[in-house]
Amino acid sequence: MTEQGILSYLLITLQIDNVIACFAGALIGTLIGVLPGLGPAAAMALVIPLTLKLGPTAGLIMLAGIYYGSMYGGSTTSILVNVPGEPASVVTTLDGYAMAKKGRAGAALAISAIGSFFAGTVSVIALQFFAPLLARAALAFGPAEYFALTVLGVVLLSNMTGKSRSRSLVMMMVGLILSTVGMDPIGGLERFSFGIEAAQGGISFIAITTGLFGVAEVFAVMAAREKPMEILPVRLRELYPNRAEMRRSLAPIARGSILGFLIGLLPGPAATMASFASYGMERSVSRHPEEFGNGAIEGVAGPESANNAASGGAMIPLLSLGLPFTPATAVLLGGMLLHGVTPGPFLLRDRPEVFWGVIGSFYLGNAMLLILNLPLVGLFAKLVRVPSRYLMPVILVLCAIGTYGDNGVLFDVWVMLGAGVIGYVMRRYGYQPAPLVVGLVLGPVMERSFRQTLIISGGRVESLWESPLCMVMWGVAFLAVLLPLVVPPLKAKMKGRLQSKP
Amino acid sequence: MSPRKDIASSVVLILFSVVFLIYTARYPLDSLESPGPAAFPLVLGGVLLILSLGQLIRAFLSPGTTEEGREKGSVSGAMRTFFRGKGEAKVFILAFLLVIYLFVMQWLGFFVSTFLLVILCSRLMEAKDWVRPILLSAGVCLFCYLLFVAWIKLSFPQGLLF
Repeated sequence: MTEQGILSYLLITLQIDNVIACFAGALIGTLIGVLPGLGPAAAMALVIPLTLKLGPTAGLIMLAGIYYGSMYGGSTTSILVNVPGEPASVVTTLDGYAMAKKGRAGAALAISAIGSFFAGTVSVIALQFFAPLLARAALAFGPAEYFALTVLGVVLLSNMTGKSRSRSLVMMMVGLILSTVGMDPIGGLERFSFGIEAAQGGISFIAITTGLFGVAEVFAVMAAREKPMEILPVRLRELYPNRAEMRRSLAPIARGSILGFLIGLLPGPAATMASFASYGMERSVSRHPEEFGNGAIEGVAGPESANNAASGGAMIPLLSLGLPFTPATAVLLGGMLLHGVTPGPFLLRDRPEVFWGVIGSFYLGNAMLLILNLPLVGLFAKLVRVPSRYLMPVILVLCAIGTYGDNGVLFDVWVMLGAGVIGYVMRRYGYQPAPLVVGLVLGPVMERSFRQTLIISGGRVESLWESPLCMVMWGVAFLAVLLPLVVPPLKAKMKGRLQSKP
Repeated sequence: MSPRKDIASSVVLILFSVVFLIYTARYPLDSLESPGPAAFPLVLGGVLLILSLGQLIRAFLSPGTTEEGREKGSVSGAMRTFFRGKGEAKVFILAFLLVIYLFVMQWLGFFVSTFLLVILCSRLMEAKDWVRPILLSAGVCLFCYLLFVAWIKLSFPQGLLF
């Protein structure tokens, strides 16, 4: 495609309905990031029925806006209230809140907004170049490669989510099992629907996501005693970082952007991992590591840039391979399919206006978020004060309406309630819902590619790993399983030997 | 994570995978050349069973399991632990409220039952008065009606009144 062609598609973003959709998405995303009780995945699932009214390009721009807007909002409460709005902002509480206590809340917020803007833009530029390249490479992918890639995704994802690898893997399996309910993707036979008509098309992905991330969270908030929160004040004249702070933030923002983007490409909870990795890196390269935890601006600038860059990076596997590796991108995939848009290698060829329209909206959305967040930050922070006794019932209603609105069947709302109860119990027992949701989305792709590979090769099991590409992916997957089993005992042995030597 | 919780969750997962595998047997497996609808679920159920068995064995092998298990093993003890805070009891009540909400929706209609749900839920979460929950509920229902019914034209279950 010519540069001019790309530019004309990018300009689609500037059509008035797309600009409004982008603004609405960014605003909802910021609110979701600030308010507890509803993560970006559930919020995106809830607005899908709304986006169907808008059409594919505007609808998907709005969904994407919620996705990266929540990254901005999450940092606000981390800094001002010491409560991270979403997991990727946990690390920001360490130095962000410490800075706020020293009266530098404004500077921390501004640096985090500027860093997020810079990183978001860097990741979009990289996305613009890498996604078409990967999409072209993915054209060489057959069913065997897709199967190997999904297996690799499952293995890497379970290595990186939560504390326990086996628990993540178990949750992923449960998600994959749930994905087998409904029509069999090859023969069309109905499975595991127990005669329930509404389950014949499969378990509603939206119902499960809103249940696990929305309703379960309401239960969790209800179970915990409400504590009065102290919000540190921000004055407008404090909003601008001073020169020294700006100078100290430049390198962390640049490093965080690159690191975050690279981590975003990996299957896993990219934004959270990226923010932690960036914090670790900044502390190790800093000349004043002792300042970390006591209000080092680098500890805000790096992670906040990294998590935004990662959310851009995570769009690449989604757009070019059609494979989501985070709950939020999984919902985005669900939204795309409902709009009749199939992400993957053919997206760029078949629907260039959607592909470039969404990418263009990232530029616009990032600029909007910067403008929205800098002056209104105090207002957003005040929203945390909304008592949960008013907020939680509203979230429950939105979950019920969004779930019902998707297919118009009450059965889905029952599924949502069940998922909410199970999700709450699961969390109390140390199981995270994210791998389950990703498993639910990857399931049909995995099954289809598995069975197609065997059919094409006439039943030769070796065909699942014969091609060089497959071998590499299986090799990495095996290493990812074996290394954590082998390395720690070896390390312990070495340590023991070293200590036993005089 | 206590080993007791590990054991309990592993047992549930083992039961789930066994039941799933039994159901899988109802569907044709066919051949390797053309795997049937049971092939993939069979692999998944098998992997889940192995993983949860592994988790169970590890939980048993981890130190301090049996004593703790015996100490807190009784049903009444578990119930007491579960309801030790007022919070957990509230979760139970809310879940029950939601079940009733879904049942009565067919007679009262979506918006009337949702209106009642928000008020009750808000009171359950220690709202002190009735006025604010009622106003909030009316506002939320009106907003949702305008957005989802008037604008997007979705249809919701209708009851006797509305």
